Amino acid sequence: MSVVRIDLNRCIGCENCVNICPMDVFYFNAEAHKSVIAYPENCQSCGQCFLNCKGRALGISNDLYAFPITAFRGASSAPMNRVLITEPGVIGEFTKGKLP
Amino acid sequence: MENLTVKPRVIELPRPESVPCPYNESYTTDVLVIGCGFAGLNAAVSAKLGGAEVLVMDKGRPGYSGLSPWPSSFRWFDPERGDREEAYMAAIREGGDYVSNLAWYKCWIDESKGIFERLTDWGILAQYPKASEAGDFFEKEDFWGYRATYDRLDRHKKWIATLERYEIPFLEHTMAADLLTKDGAVCGAVALHVPSGATITVRAKAVLLATGGGSYKPTGYPVGTDTFDGEYMAWKLGLPIAGKEYEDFHSTSNNAPGNVFYDNHWQYLENIWLCGGDVSEKNASEYASNKGNIMALGRVRGAVYGVAKSDGSEIQDVATANYTRRGGSQVYESDPEELRSGKMSTPVGRSDLAGAATGMCCHLTSGVFCGFEVRNDVPGMPGLFVAGDGTHCTAPSGAAYPCGVGFTSCFCSIDGDHAGKAAAAWVRGKELASADEEQIEAKLAEISAPLQREKGFDPNWARDVLHSIMAPYWVSVAKTEPTLRAALTQVEYMRDNVVPKLAAASSHDLRLCMEVRHKVLSAELKLRASLFRAESRGTHYRADVPYRRDEDYLCAVTLRQGESGIELEKHPVPDEWTGESSAAYTDRYHYYFPGEGKAKGFTPPKTNWGGKRG
Repeated sequence: MSVVRIDLNRCIGCENCVNICPMDVFYFNAEAHKSVIAYPENCQSCGQCFLNCKGRALGISNDLYAFPITAFRGASSAPMNRVLITEPGVIGEFTKGKLP
Repeated sequence: MENLTVKPRVIELPRPESVPCPYNESYTTDVLVIGCGFAGLNAAVSAKLGGAEVLVMDKGRPGYSGLSPWPSSFRWFDPERGDREEAYMAAIREGGDYVSNLAWYKCWIDESKGIFERLTDWGILAQYPKASEAGDFFEKEDFWGYRATYDRLDRHKKWIATLERYEIPFLEHTMAADLLTKDGAVCGAVALHVPSGATITVRAKAVLLATGGGSYKPTGYPVGTDTFDGEYMAWKLGLPIAGKEYEDFHSTSNNAPGNVFYDNHWQYLENIWLCGGDVSEKNASEYASNKGNIMALGRVRGAVYGVAKSDGSEIQDVATANYTRRGGSQVYESDPEELRSGKMSTPVGRSDLAGAATGMCCHLTSGVFCGFEVRNDVPGMPGLFVAGDGTHCTAPSGAAYPCGVGFTSCFCSIDGDHAGKAAAAWVRGKELASADEEQIEAKLAEISAPLQREKGFDPNWARDVLHSIMAPYWVSVAKTEPTLRAALTQVEYMRDNVVPKLAAASSHDLRLCMEVRHKVLSAELKLRASLFRAESRGTHYRADVPYRRDEDYLCAVTLRQGESGIELEKHPVPDEWTGESSAAYTDRYHYYFPGEGKAKGFTPPKTNWGGKRG
């Protein structure tokens, strides 16, 4: 449940993530002209950075998912916790049962 | 093992050692608006149009901060399109379990159309084709292509555009920490510019809080920015806080719990759907009980018993999901003039797991209590105004949320409009209070105190501990006296032993330390209110008292910091709002909590309790 870096080379330094993130996860390294995922532990996985990233340098990982009030659920319902949303098609593949 | 491939880990660049603060050390203004969602934006513009000088402060960037970037819908009342006040009033009175504030609901009846026109003018309600009907964006999951195609209509950027249009200056990424007072009146605030760590003092003739509600830890609902900041500041002034016992009903997906993006991505990118026109004299009672079933019982059953089938077949293929329109006008199909289509978002993963925003209260029920009248000034605290979800207890929808999708975005705008006008009227002819340097210095020192501690607790650890205490369903859904008392003991321990020893290593941590302080207080208030209301009503379910107790609890419950500790008080809801008291129990209430029929001696009908959404 966190933003992840896919490719730092793709970051064009537009600062959208730095300005948009409501959780203060991102900072900007002016010297390198690239953003820094400084506090991923405070990411709420809303994906506003991901959707507004001009260089497509970011992804949304489900690795560190957090449980809501309950996790009472079907025993064989596969968790999505090994899926990384980076490229188009991932969500559909998962919900069609093609991914674990 | 020879085929194993390992992706190299991308190492992030170092966080810069210092970040410049783009703002001044101090400001003066007529009205300081803290928080800029639907309530704050409307408040700021209305105060400005009322002739006041306005300064806006937001913890993030307006348009992307709090819950306001996320509504899927907006509903308004339109008598010219056939809406009837009596029908809506009947539905809200019954569906809100007879504790709805009908004076505020009447404001929605009278003013929501004007607010629709205002937000349309600002571009926030611009309409465009949904992703699954605009090309192959949905099939290809091409979020960026869809965004690029409709970029100029994107509502999120309209927040700053609107502030600029009305020439209202704003401080972003700036967290208000405490209010300034002089001679018993509010006269400003101290704040932290989070990225730089700079502190900012604002002296104002009036302060308007529109800071939203909060959650201990967002787990699938994007409420992370909201951390009860306004509630805390008001509490410190000794003001009454109401509605803490009512719980939020939002849910997340079984197969990706805690992943906000998975739950909301297309809704975020698509327009806000126009809703309303779905209540009539004929369906009012049924509408109310259906909403109660979904909002209150769906949550209770979903959290306690789970929803997903054990064979995993409940995981839904979003590509084939059949999502029908929700909350739309009954005459939409036949009337070409009708705009209120209802919510028809492109499908996202099914929300089938309750409790995605632990600690959040049911929309509009909680916050500073200003009485049952339509007012935004706080009795006994001149210079302070409150507005919006989680900050101002208006409770137009009572103990549940029977008003249909899209009510909160509209109602918060109305509430903000009222607050802005009231604040502008208040400051007219007033002088700015002189600065109390000693008070300012003390409050600024309090912000940075966690940085001065050599040892202390990590605020992220404290957040997780609090979440673990409060999240279990026996504390937050099916509440009982012993489980609430056990949680309260834990939270009181955190209040006394953890909060005073929170330590920060950065300005980012300073924000977290303040947020934990607010969350711990909020948890205590929630537990105390939940213990006090020894009945079940709307989104407050006491498994040990699973029925309504009209004789004792047709009231708002407030908590305030008194001289000798926390004071709880009942405020009876005006009689004319509480329905027919002589009616039989089963005529008065049409959905029932687990255990209610047995306790009250009747056999409840089998209901479809709304566990399957969407």
